[in-house]
Amino acid sequence: MNGARSRKREAPISHRSKIEKLKDFLEGKPLRHPIHPMLVHFPIGLLLLSFLIDLASLAFPSVPNLVRDSFYAMLLGLIMALVAAVPGLVDYTDIRSDHPGKRTAIAHMILNFMLVVVYGINLGVRSSSLLDPRISMGPLILSLIGVGLLSASGYLGGRLVYNQGIAVGRHKRHMPTPRDTIHLTTPIPGAEGVFVPIMAAQQLRERETLRVEISAQIMTIVKIDNQLFAFQEFCSHRFGPLSEGSFDGFNVQCPWHNSCFDVRTGKVTNGPAKVDLKIFEMEMREGKVGILLPRQTKSA
Amino acid sequence: MKWLLNILKGKWLGHPLHPILVHVPMAMWPGALIFDLLSKWQIGGNAMVRLSFYAIAFGLIASLLAVPAGLVDWTGIKKEKPAWKIGLYHLALNVVVTALFAINLGLRLQDFRDASIVATAPLTLSILGTAILIASAYLGGRITYHYGISVARMSKDEWREIAQAGGANLPPE
Repeated sequence: MNGARSRKREAPISHRSKIEKLKDFLEGKPLRHPIHPMLVHFPIGLLLLSFLIDLASLAFPSVPNLVRDSFYAMLLGLIMALVAAVPGLVDYTDIRSDHPGKRTAIAHMILNFMLVVVYGINLGVRSSSLLDPRISMGPLILSLIGVGLLSASGYLGGRLVYNQGIAVGRHKRHMPTPRDTIHLTTPIPGAEGVFVPIMAAQQLRERETLRVEISAQIMTIVKIDNQLFAFQEFCSHRFGPLSEGSFDGFNVQCPWHNSCFDVRTGKVTNGPAKVDLKIFEMEMREGKVGILLPRQTKSA
Repeated sequence: MKWLLNILKGKWLGHPLHPILVHVPMAMWPGALIFDLLSKWQIGGNAMVRLSFYAIAFGLIASLLAVPAGLVDWTGIKKEKPAWKIGLYHLALNVVVTALFAINLGLRLQDFRDASIVATAPLTLSILGTAILIASAYLGGRITYHYGISVARMSKDEWREIAQAGGANLPPE
């Protein structure tokens, strides 16, 4: 693979609202890197440092300023946690409601909320005794709880990225991602297949996508050059979500590892994927746009 | 040998290890710069000088662990991929940053116990080191968020099941 296509940017779309532009900014699209994962280094590192200094104050009470140092590290860590929460919340709102990462994200958010409260109390409790040579039991236990919450929450945040692919490759796309999957059912297909009208496809903007499930078949529908195309939702490499992909001409690019496919034929146009996508025929019938599903063969 | 590679890759955690460990130097070294600046502006006094020293030291210890984990992740990338080259730049910059903060810590050893304002040489090294660190960390982030390295590596079986249930064409196992 030459990688040339993966470097090409999707042309920006002009008709975007102020809210959408602000959201893009907080999602780090101008930086081409999400912002929340950049900022979280600071609370994680500083709150951990604060705990280590607490322990050091017990081991070496003759060293001056340790309790004060721990307080400052914690204060800066908590401030950065609050700053990181803003782009974090925006990232959360962008997760599709039936995405497996949604539950992880909710748990991550609850833990973060708890740790902010615990550290807020911790700072209050210790603020009156900064000159002590060693940290007292109350704030030490609060720090221990805080570090536990922080580790669990940070781990979940990492799972969101590395296992569930949240925010990976998102900056390559200029259109919003589908908020939901549209579930449709079909009657048993006849000899010539079955037509399933998809109302929402009529309102699609250029390069906007729908994620549609028709009787357990999950697909992406996109409008390119005023035509509609439908293809399997999952990339044939590591199964990334193509409804969250970016578009370059008639190519869809997977947000995860940049595999490209021609939406008209399903053919791989750039690796790492090697297997072509399943595609579906779209048709107009009686003024309704929809998908023509072939007669199901049992072997598939 | 294989067990060590598995530890460094983070298989036991179900999460790559390098991006976890880098939180420490990534927070400690810019943090040290902030504490340096506060001491320069005469806020906090010797507590800030000491805090900066501890932060740099903690960052160095964690980077000793982060380097082998990062190297293992990097050697897993195919050489012809664009992410390999970015990984190489990331590696080179990290070597420079780590060396700068090691020198920085050495310069502070003499007087961090008593000084109430950071000296100019270590402050300059903190500024320089933090600037290079931010560039390097940005490249590291691009390796994940743009090239997807390590993404869905450990969860590919779960995703395959989901894709299969969704009727997708799948690659051979």
